[in-house]
Amino acid sequence: MKYVFQKLGLFVLTLWAAITLNFFLPRLMPGSPADAAIAKLSQNGPVSDATRAAIEAQLGVPTGSMWDQYVAYLGQVARLDFGVSYTFYPQSVSSMVSTALPYTIGLVGIVTILAFVIGTLIGVAAAWRRGTWLDSLPTLTGSFLSTFPYFWTALLLLFFFGYVLHWFPTTGAYSATTTPGFTPEFIGDLLLHAILPALTILLTSLGGWIIGMRNAMINTLGEDYITFAEANGLRGRTIALRYAARNAILPNLTGFGLTLGGVVGGSILVEQVFGYPGIGYLLFNAVIGQDYPLMQALFLMITVSVLIANFLVDILYGVLDPRTRR
Amino acid sequence: MVTKLSKTDRVSGTHMFRRWRRAAVVALAGAAVVLSGCSIQITSQPDPSIGADTMLINADKGNPFFTQNFNPYLTNTRTASRWIYEPLILMNNLDGSLNPWLATEWEQPDARTIVMTLRDDVTWSDGEKFTADDVAFTFQMLKDNPSLDIKGAWQHLETVETDGDTVTLHLQGDDAPALTILGQTMIVPEHLWEDVKDPGTYRNEDPVGTGPFVLGNYNDQQYSVDKNPDYWQADKIDIEHIILPATNSQLDTVSRGYDWSYSFISDVEGTWGAASPDNTWWFPPGGVIALLPNLEVAPFDDVNVRRGIALSLDREEIAETASEGYMEPAGQTGLILPNQEEYLDPEIPDQGMLTQDADAALAAFAEAGYTLEGDRLVGEDGEQLEFAITTANGYSDWTRAAQTVQRQLAEVGVKVSLKLPQPAGYQSAISNGDFEMAIGGMGGGDVYQAYNNLLSSEFYVPSGEATANNFERFRSEEADALLAEYRGTVDTARQAEIVYELQGIVYDQMPVIGLYYGGIWGLFSDAKFTGWPTAEDPYMIPQNYDNAPLMIFTRLERVKEEGQ
Repeated sequence: MKYVFQKLGLFVLTLWAAITLNFFLPRLMPGSPADAAIAKLSQNGPVSDATRAAIEAQLGVPTGSMWDQYVAYLGQVARLDFGVSYTFYPQSVSSMVSTALPYTIGLVGIVTILAFVIGTLIGVAAAWRRGTWLDSLPTLTGSFLSTFPYFWTALLLLFFFGYVLHWFPTTGAYSATTTPGFTPEFIGDLLLHAILPALTILLTSLGGWIIGMRNAMINTLGEDYITFAEANGLRGRTIALRYAARNAILPNLTGFGLTLGGVVGGSILVEQVFGYPGIGYLLFNAVIGQDYPLMQALFLMITVSVLIANFLVDILYGVLDPRTRR
Repeated sequence: MVTKLSKTDRVSGTHMFRRWRRAAVVALAGAAVVLSGCSIQITSQPDPSIGADTMLINADKGNPFFTQNFNPYLTNTRTASRWIYEPLILMNNLDGSLNPWLATEWEQPDARTIVMTLRDDVTWSDGEKFTADDVAFTFQMLKDNPSLDIKGAWQHLETVETDGDTVTLHLQGDDAPALTILGQTMIVPEHLWEDVKDPGTYRNEDPVGTGPFVLGNYNDQQYSVDKNPDYWQADKIDIEHIILPATNSQLDTVSRGYDWSYSFISDVEGTWGAASPDNTWWFPPGGVIALLPNLEVAPFDDVNVRRGIALSLDREEIAETASEGYMEPAGQTGLILPNQEEYLDPEIPDQGMLTQDADAALAAFAEAGYTLEGDRLVGEDGEQLEFAITTANGYSDWTRAAQTVQRQLAEVGVKVSLKLPQPAGYQSAISNGDFEMAIGGMGGGDVYQAYNNLLSSEFYVPSGEATANNFERFRSEEADALLAEYRGTVDTARQAEIVYELQGIVYDQMPVIGLYYGGIWGLFSDAKFTGWPTAEDPYMIPQNYDNAPLMIFTRLERVKEEGQ
């Protein structure tokens, strides 16, 4: 129990630090949100002082001392009230986040789980059949694909399957002509739009899981208890899955916990390339527009989910491996 | 099983070789994919479900999070709200010319009064009649909600009076050029907006306007507008529907079969032009991109230094590198040619164009006490002339221009460094005078407004305080007097003379140094609609945002299919 409380204390402390950093960082950036909006307008021609005044009135310029702002901010965070978005004025931050979150969870979340499951299984198979094509093919292609910057893979897929072959849509989460709803037509359309971004994430993250699992598994396979099991004449599959993989999966499981925590942040570049309306794209837009309220809400959400994942992994590890509790 | 494990301990040489061969095959396949990509021509693939009476426009771009916001005064309004609501007067930003719109005519009996006659056959799209009360209501609403007054009407207005179908605008002082600002006010219906509690955050999801279009389908991926059958010039509108998708990348622009796009695009002929035989384009100049010296920073307070810099520059090269050759070099008058040719003072040599002249530049620098020592231009204190140019990160044409200036000035011994903050940081730097030299835009639209924004000491604040215009911090009693005189006269001949004198000031005193024209990037397809503005018929600025399309929509004609 002492272990859990220790971890909990650390969790709260990190959370406070994250919330505080989250407050100060955007305010240290040069230029105000109104400046960002005006800079955007002035690319199309000079902006009159009247327009500037109107924009400042619309977006508001932070008032009060830093300390007052900080206290007000802490209160807002406690109430989960993040105010009005600047770039999507006059939409509230929470409405923007709740629009984007399902897309990200649906796309990045599902693909991350898929990649973990598939990658780990392939890793087990590869380690078990070391030296055969079942080992070298997935290991080599996996590591090869994961060396590509993933936005590059995204661009290649988009270019070929979207623009050259016209097999898949190139942008958005669903066709503009279909009406959102629980219809087979809409769900099919939604899936069609998700295939290329999903494939990108899958291809580029699979290698890590395969190699991680394969190497951990090979180590385990060298252990005496495996040799003992083999000597006892147990079935190969039983040894591979119940004896070796079960022990070898711990590091991969840690990685999985952390990756899952990061899912909420979306996949900025993939969402950017495919114009996919998830959290990653929202975050990109928020940073470009110096949209403090939106940025703060998103950063906080990402930080908190990574922290929670960390915390859970810590606890889980404590349960699975008693040595960590010492 | 034990034997199986030991097998891998002796990985043979041939096995290693096979591994590498496999890796090589994979790598080659990948490389082939990448290389073949370079030679594939993207062609336009219009969506077959979009009819011949429907236009596809990329005007509302870059954003997958559409919000249903049709309040035409908010920063984040949907583009089409400016085609649903209309202004009193429609200005062509190319040359500043004014077209009657909701107002059929206007006069200025004196410099502080504007009398407008309203069109009497206009109805709102819900059937109610458009009246002078709507105009008065709109102005009052902008007064009550300064955050909506994006054109700044109430910096000029004193009172608004209506009488039948005339509206009289009384100004705060002699302010003849206020007409162009007040005329651009978009009018909203009193009978619907009077009940809005807070127009400053009102999203106006079901807009009712006087314009050529009404909102059709809306979802957060795209929306459409449909022709308003009761529009006051409905007979001139050949477009039945317009579709505006939420996201548009450059690849989309070329491949999706847009009828009208607005986008800077590299190699327009090989991309947009090659995508379809019906694709055309027109890139008129829309503003002057210039060097803004901070006049409060030595040595830019010395006109000879500014002249030396201006004469050191090869504008042809700057225009070529910055705009990929699409734009012409700009002269030193602040005018945009040929759009604003009618305002040009014929006395100014070469239409204000300065040519690179190293000797003249060095002579000007010498006047200011700078001499060439080896390859360094050195001042009286023995220090090299050295400064930083600030431009915005991501504005790649400005950055290329700054780099070219940097190189050209190095040739006369001036050492230039570049500062590239994010756009918001750039904006804040030039507003607060936190720069030595900056790249910025000026000019375009109404000539008086352009010179006023550039030169008026009304905007002057010392460096360290924020201003909205006159970023270079110019002050001149002569310029102020001319601007004041312009405001006070409704005599167009005298106004023209004043414009001559103002461009003379810019030409001689060089508060800013013109480099090249900023472009307006109109991309059109003649497949379904023809009649786009061209260099030969520049009836409207070819941009698909703001109010400009109102005019272009009335000029477009459906291409009749064979047999019709």
